[in-house]
Amino acid sequence: MKALYKIAFVVSASAALTSCFNKSEPNYQYMPNMYESVGYETYSESGAFKNGKEGQLPAAGSIPRGFTPYEYPNTEEGYNAAKAGLVSPLAAAEVDEAKGKELFTIYCAICHGDKGDGKGNLAKREKFAGVPNYKDRDINEGSVFHVETYGRNMMGSHANQLSQKERWQVAHYVMKLKSEL
Amino acid sequence: MSSHYEAPIRKPLIIGDKNYHDVTVDVARPVEGRANKQWWIAFSIATAAFLWGVACVAYTVGTGIGTWGSNKTVGWAWDITNFVWWVGIGHAGTLISAVLLLFRQKWRMAINRSAEAMTIFSVIQAAMFPVFHMGRPWLAYWVMPIPNQFGSLWVNFNSPLLWDVFAISTYLSVSLVFWWTGLLPDFAMLRDRAITPFTKRVYSILSFGWSGRAKDWQRFEEVSLVLAGLATPLVLSVHTIVSFDFATSVIPGWHTTILPPYFVAGAIFSGFAMVNTLLIIMRKVSNLEAYITVQHIELMNIVVMITGSIVGVAYITELFVAWYSGVEYEQYAFLNRATGPYWWSYWLMMTCNVISPQVMWFKKIRTSITVSFIISIVVNVGMWFERFVIIVTSLHRDYLPSSWTMFQPTFVDAGFYIGTIGFFFVLFLLYSRSFPVIAQAEVKSIMKTSSEKYKKLHEAHDNHSHSENNHH
Repeated sequence: MKALYKIAFVVSASAALTSCFNKSEPNYQYMPNMYESVGYETYSESGAFKNGKEGQLPAAGSIPRGFTPYEYPNTEEGYNAAKAGLVSPLAAAEVDEAKGKELFTIYCAICHGDKGDGKGNLAKREKFAGVPNYKDRDINEGSVFHVETYGRNMMGSHANQLSQKERWQVAHYVMKLKSEL
Repeated sequence: MSSHYEAPIRKPLIIGDKNYHDVTVDVARPVEGRANKQWWIAFSIATAAFLWGVACVAYTVGTGIGTWGSNKTVGWAWDITNFVWWVGIGHAGTLISAVLLLFRQKWRMAINRSAEAMTIFSVIQAAMFPVFHMGRPWLAYWVMPIPNQFGSLWVNFNSPLLWDVFAISTYLSVSLVFWWTGLLPDFAMLRDRAITPFTKRVYSILSFGWSGRAKDWQRFEEVSLVLAGLATPLVLSVHTIVSFDFATSVIPGWHTTILPPYFVAGAIFSGFAMVNTLLIIMRKVSNLEAYITVQHIELMNIVVMITGSIVGVAYITELFVAWYSGVEYEQYAFLNRATGPYWWSYWLMMTCNVISPQVMWFKKIRTSITVSFIISIVVNVGMWFERFVIIVTSLHRDYLPSSWTMFQPTFVDAGFYIGTIGFFFVLFLLYSRSFPVIAQAEVKSIMKTSSEKYKKLHEAHDNHSHSENNHH
């Protein structure tokens, strides 16, 4: 009987010690010496900035190393000019069709379909209508790049997902799909 | 009586006309009586020092190790000096109770209890330094190889600092068990003499129901001998491991193979000195002069002299090897000790440790209680400086002259040290008023061979039988 009391005491003590944790809140910490960052961490909030966000916009007109600004404006004229004058800077050896396919499958195929026929999953499930088939459109690599950069009609800009080089890879792949339709 | 042979050259270990009951009464008197004013004064001073130490430790832990005088070059200074000093002091207790038991030294019996108490209390002081010299003492449990959620992240068993953890904790626990086992018959004696229900209850709990049957005594003796056999290699290994903190390093002045035995010798040296300091006071204030005799003090002085000479030989060996090595760093380390900015600590250490024990060659000095008391304190000052010299002078000048610096302790360094001294005396003063400070059961076992009263009886009897033989 005495042993039973002891066991009950140990069980209840350990239950009391371990049960005070709420699943909807972060757990208790023991001496969190270096858990919170002293430096400013990307995406975190900080009172040091006016809008409280860690990610601040760079000064307008500044150009980071390794980046070429896109010169064509986000207008109908810009679109036409890109279609007429913009060509891929990728040399033949730099074109990586596998990479283009991969990126297309991730960022484009959900609407445009794996084949570029306008029958992506969202279109098939009728979340929205009006995704064109590449076959029906008069596009070239320059105009595809322009649309990827700025978006057009229902489509939004993909410049923050894809780098310039990646957009050229995708543009190349789009033209390949179009040729196969 | 004729079956007993005791060399007449041996002097009595129990002075006066004492019988078994007298031993009981003498040992129980400090426990059963009330503390006098002097005790309360001493206890208050010790408590104040202890609390001041607590405040300094709290300040260190709360604010940081930077409150100490240690710097980037001299990372270890007073903390480890005091640690090694306290561990060293603790060694005498085990030496007296274990090694002297193995060598069947009867004179240990009057002093072993207090010596072991001193061991335990000083190891407790020592153990605080490894914890509170940590930058993050609240993570001290990480030194234990405990299965954990960091993918069972383990400790590295290659560090002498980890060996220290095992050495000190084993040493403390074995010493405690050894001490307590020996206390059982004595607690039982106090239990049986208790007149208030409270003391009766307390000593009943402490004595674990000791009833002193033949089988109990037989096993008691066996356990004592086994524990003595275990404690002896332990005591040698503990200070060896402490010395490994330095000896296994690459620092000139630290990297020496002589350190393990030399540290152990130093530990016995300082430990016996501390026992002497404490017992010279205790025999007076607790009226135990009949048990802790001048002969006991003389024998301890002889141990101090022998180990002091060993330490002296070690100093000379180190100096010789430094010269003989041809290593300029090693040579400079010792030149720096003798003539550098801390020359005074080196020469203080040399004077206290090498010269002071040599006066014990004179019988007049080693049998003088006053001189023994002074020398015992001088030895502990010297042994503190030995650790200080080894640690600080080796660190503040080593390989790169650009890293040469000085060390200056702060009041917090001193406060922690004072606090441990205070805590030690708090424990020792409480011990001396509540524990049987002499192992009466053991002392009674030598009553008939080594007490003054029985020695006289033997002598008279022997002379008598001699004359009878002559008649025939």
